[in-house]
Amino acid sequence: MHRASLYTALLLVPAALGAQMAGAPATLTPRDSALHALNRLAYGPRPGDVSRVAQTGVMKWIDQQLNPKHVDDDSLKEIEKGYQILHESSYDLVGLLEDARKAREARLKRDPTSADQPGDQPPKLKRLAGEFPALAVVRAAYSERQLQEVMVDFWTNHFNVFAGKGLDRALLPDYIEHVIRPHALERFTDLLVATAQSPAMLFYLDNWQSVAPGSIPPNLVRAEMRARSYGMGNSMRLDSAVARQPKGINENYGRELLELHTLGVDGGYTQADVIAAARILTGWSIDKPRQDPRFVFNGWAHDYGEKTVLGVRFPGGHGEDEGIRLLEMLAMHPATMHHISWELCQRFVADDPPDGCVDDAVSAWKKSNGDIPTVLSAIFHGPDFWAASNLSGKVKTPLEFVASALRATGADPDTTFRLAQVVARLGEPLYQHVAPDGYHETQDEWVNSGALLDRMNVAVGLAAGKLPGAVVALDRVVPPMANHDSLVNAIDRQLLGGAMTLHTRQVILDQIKDVADSGAARNFAVGLALGGPDFQRQ
Amino acid sequence: MAITRRGFVKAGGVALFSVGLDPLFMDRAAYALTNRLSTNRLTTSLPILVCLFQRGAVDGLNMIVPHGDRIYYEERPRIGVPATDVVDLDGYFGLHPSLAALKPWWDNKSLAAIHAIGSPDATRSHFDAQDYMESGTPGVKITSDGWLNRYCQHDREHQSSAFRSVAFGPELPRILSGTAPALAIGDLKTFGLRVPQNAQGDRVTRAFEALYQGSSTGLLASSSEEGFEAARQLKAADPTQYQAEHGAVYPNGKLGHSLLEIAQLIKADIGLQIAFADATGWDTHVNQGASEGQLSARLKELGDGLAAFATDLGDRMHNIVVLTMSEFGRTIHENGNSGTDHGHATAMFALGGPVNGGKVLGKWPGLAPEQRYEGRDVAVTTDFRDLFAEMLARHLGSADTASVFPGYSVDPAKFVGAIKG
Repeated sequence: MHRASLYTALLLVPAALGAQMAGAPATLTPRDSALHALNRLAYGPRPGDVSRVAQTGVMKWIDQQLNPKHVDDDSLKEIEKGYQILHESSYDLVGLLEDARKAREARLKRDPTSADQPGDQPPKLKRLAGEFPALAVVRAAYSERQLQEVMVDFWTNHFNVFAGKGLDRALLPDYIEHVIRPHALERFTDLLVATAQSPAMLFYLDNWQSVAPGSIPPNLVRAEMRARSYGMGNSMRLDSAVARQPKGINENYGRELLELHTLGVDGGYTQADVIAAARILTGWSIDKPRQDPRFVFNGWAHDYGEKTVLGVRFPGGHGEDEGIRLLEMLAMHPATMHHISWELCQRFVADDPPDGCVDDAVSAWKKSNGDIPTVLSAIFHGPDFWAASNLSGKVKTPLEFVASALRATGADPDTTFRLAQVVARLGEPLYQHVAPDGYHETQDEWVNSGALLDRMNVAVGLAAGKLPGAVVALDRVVPPMANHDSLVNAIDRQLLGGAMTLHTRQVILDQIKDVADSGAARNFAVGLALGGPDFQRQ
Repeated sequence: MAITRRGFVKAGGVALFSVGLDPLFMDRAAYALTNRLSTNRLTTSLPILVCLFQRGAVDGLNMIVPHGDRIYYEERPRIGVPATDVVDLDGYFGLHPSLAALKPWWDNKSLAAIHAIGSPDATRSHFDAQDYMESGTPGVKITSDGWLNRYCQHDREHQSSAFRSVAFGPELPRILSGTAPALAIGDLKTFGLRVPQNAQGDRVTRAFEALYQGSSTGLLASSSEEGFEAARQLKAADPTQYQAEHGAVYPNGKLGHSLLEIAQLIKADIGLQIAFADATGWDTHVNQGASEGQLSARLKELGDGLAAFATDLGDRMHNIVVLTMSEFGRTIHENGNSGTDHGHATAMFALGGPVNGGKVLGKWPGLAPEQRYEGRDVAVTTDFRDLFAEMLARHLGSADTASVFPGYSVDPAKFVGAIKG
């Protein structure tokens, strides 16, 4: 830094501090507030992170995280090079899926009684399908753009798509890469429109087959006319093609759009609104679903009649534009602002979100036209975010637990793509939530006897260097020490960011006191620290 | 170990109460005091209730088909199950052909169907409707616990096992959440702490127990306590190497696996009274199929699974009831995609020795337009709470169903008669 700019920076310090004081953690030490921010805006601290963020200034670090484009993430890009899935388009994946389907059909034709075989699924598709959820864990653990990753997880659940539903096996990667990720910290309206036009969502919630009653696609109309004019005999085939055509609207997407994606279940809509929304979105479909799936608006399938949604009139004669108008209206509806602000406060502040936090977020939403970083910034500057009662008040989800454990121990991913299996075993198989509400955020969803025992198993395995999918080199982070007090101090500082309770400390010391081998004592202590109650909270 | 735990709960409980600890934890702690868990094997005479939740809203009309009704076929030209395929039950209703495996139990009067059952609440949201069915308080969102858990809270005399109420799956469902202990088990084979050597395993378990016991972390503390106890009991019962009996073959897939593990726990005689499992895939908006297809495949898994379960348990079924449930039914009219959208009433099954079987129970409202709910769905003639309360009162012998269903006056006159008198 040049002398002049340093001088300017020093002059600016009081002003910057002043800005921080709006909701700043006055009662917290810089290290405590750094740890809290790392627990909520990131997947927990890596060794040394707490000091680094405290030194940078927690509010400055938060601002950096709100602008991820300016955060260098080259080391993650290096890891991502090992993921073949990032080089496959939906076109490629659908091709693989179709090949598998045809092979299966051919086999059934040869031998109708034969059972499904493992060979039905090409190994390449299987491997790629395994890579993608593993990539989510790796990004959560290793990206420098931590808030970006937290928000990707948030929106992935808010706009959930179940990867196990037919074509969505092939469409999901494109959905996450090109719909969710680029919009995770942008305008909500753009994200909403992008999801509404994504082949993955159109397929998942059936809108691609929702048509105005009586619609017939132009190719069938032409074929029918040809058949009629030639008095053709192959009309059987044509009849069955017509019979297979969708015959009317499908309410599925229209309902979840209002209930989950925007207004919320208590957002004041009726069954009539659901039907009107579905009618407005008729014709929003997928072009060439089994070859090169892309969004298309089929004018021939659209209902051009007049509709009313939430008391707002949508006059007749409009096409794709009225769908956009509906989505824009929903994105800025007061019920939507409240619903999503509430969800964000639940994610970042407390399972039972404080009203003040929600109000701050809603007013930022209004002022910024739904600019997500502005809404988040309002939450992070509010007093509720920093309230002592909310520190360590949330229980980690399985993804948060695994990612934070990888970060705490400085583990590296190996090349087996098995980290997602660990998260799945703890109850959160990524992209596999069947229902459109996504995984929940609150502790009652995740804390139960069986799941807790499994977290302890993961912790003990990790400490022993046996976590599937990761290479752990504990010696770099906490080397074995003969003095147990120093050992537990090191574990607290390096792995728990200094948050170890007195009780945990005492129990660990007590449990390892008769373990003679310093390596075994270290592993035991680390396993207990990561599997114990302190590390389940954030 | 037990003495230490009790000491902690007593001493810690009082101290923690004054700092305003999570009431759920306090209730559970107090609970643990009065109901010490034991590893004693129990007699096999206690009644058992197994609940299966068909999440996604099963199409009751294609599960138990009103094949004697012209309107059914008029409304479902593409997905109506042809009368020739239906397994007839009483000339008007019949089983979907994929449920044919259940017919023997219908014939020996241990399988009943309850039609036109559902919620008095109008919601067509999966999540709200599931929530209401599990909380047992339709229309009331703030209820904090599930009705099966409330039953466990009120009928404590059976409480002597960590396995009294078990949900099969990685998460504890809403229906079993609450202050009474309940377990969620993803897989019996891997339940518990897995440490290579036994001696070391005990040591690790003890260490974690000590860590969680002394921490004032509410749900974390109570859940871990229950987990450790259950792992101990399971180890003592040793249900590994399970073999299904009487030639029963469970279908592949999650539901079959859950049913197999429930049978396994029942036969281990470690005090299972309430079991719960999910069956997913019922939200058939598109191409649901008629005699064959998507819904048919799911029904086959359900029917074959239930048949395997009843075959496997054999005579033990004399005090077991399996009850299926689903949040609502689907539209009478098929939609534009040869599927059905969210409706109102649906159908449920009750299977087991105590069941008053061989009948379709409940009042059938009919399918004519004027008989429908909001002009489109099967009307609800049986409030689901009346069936659930009957299970608790007549099967499990609960004396206090009123407190299980707050805000509802349970009236035996409204029971459909699913359990033999």
